[in-house]
Order: sequence, then C-alpha cells, then structure tokens
Amino acid sequence: MERSEIYEKLNEIFCDVLDLDEVHLTDASVADDIEEWDSLSHIQLIVAIEKAFGIKFTSLEIMKWNNVGEMVNSIIAKKQ
Amino acid sequence: MTIAELAEQTGKIEHTYQVSPEVYHAFQSCSGDFNPLHTDVAFAQSKGFNDCVMYGNILNAFISHFVGMLLPTKEVMIQSQDISFHKPVFLNDQIALEATVDTVSEAVGIIEFKLKFRRISEGVKPELVAKGHVQIGLLK
Repeated sequence: MERSEIYEKLNEIFCDVLDLDEVHLTDASVADDIEEWDSLSHIQLIVAIEKAFGIKFTSLEIMKWNNVGEMVNSIIAKKQ
Repeated sequence: MTIAELAEQTGKIEHTYQVSPEVYHAFQSCSGDFNPLHTDVAFAQSKGFNDCVMYGNILNAFISHFVGMLLPTKEVMIQSQDISFHKPVFLNDQIALEATVDTVSEAVGIIEFKLKFRRISEGVKPELVAKGHVQIGLLK
C-alpha cells in the first residue's frame, strides 16, 4: 500500500471521527495541530484505523509514536 | 482484568428490562422532559400512536445499567455510545437487551458492544425496537 493511499484513507478517517470538514495530515502532524484530537478522540481514531486497515496495534507501539508519520510507518509495516 | 479477558468472559450478555411506571417517572423527573408525546395520551394518539411513547433515552439508561452492573468487572467506564430507535416503546413493555462483543482494541483498552433491544411478550415474535453500540474502557 502506497504512503499516499494511506494518507488519503487517514484523512477520511480523521474527518469522520473528529467531525472535520477537511484535514491534510502530513508526517509531521501531531495532536496539538487539531483542536478536536484529544485523548478520547485518539482512542476512537485508533479503533477506526484498526478497523479500516484490518490491523491491530499494541499499546506499546502507539505510545512510541511522536507524529502521524510514525503511525503511518506502523501501518505500512503491518500491511506488508 | 485485561481487555482481552473481559472480552473473552463477556461474549454475549442478555438481560430483560421493564419500562415500569417507576422507570418512566424517574426518567421524566431526571430529564425534565414533559413533551406531550410522552405525557398526553390524546396528543400521542393524534400523532398515530396507540399510547404515550416512552422516552427513547430510557434505553440509554438501560445501557448504563448493562455497563455498570452486568459486566464481570466494575472497573469500566463508557467512552461513547450510539442508539437508533426503530419502533416506539410503551409503558410496561418488556425490553430484552442483547449485547455482543463487536470490536476489541487492546492497544487503547476498549471493547465495543453491539446492542439490540427487542420488545418481548408472550406468544408474539420479539420485535427489534432499537439498536446501537457502546464502547467501554477499562479503568486503570
């Protein structure tokens, strides 16, 4: 799966879960960039991402992410 | 208890509730909602219902009971829930809740249950009145 395809899907998930009209995630995006991305919505995002990509993360894995780029790296690794 | 253990022990839970006068009045008092659909039989009948329609959110209170009292651990908290109402519920209806584990995420420590509410009465096929989901997290 191409990185750009993942971002396309992630943008849709973020819009849906966070109730945003549009979002343009990048490797450098972090929760502080999006007002609606709080701790509770983070849980909803992870669940939605796991469902959409048919993958499972571990708690250790998600704690290590510093930005969206690192999350995308995890998704790519699991989809290979 | 871990989220995986909770999911394994829970599987499917069924419980029957009654929309008794006590439940109706308690919810009315709590919500302050005296809309005539819920309080005036003539109004409800003029809108095509046989009787006053019960508050749909009484079913949300039943979800609260399910999460707080029926799960095998008390260390839980509701993160989100949604419900859609398909048929009206009336006073003294018996409502059977069926809750099945739908999604488990160990990464964020949540379980999502799929919920179905059916009206049950003797000699009649159970009727789906509402359905939804509740997502719970384990308290740390």
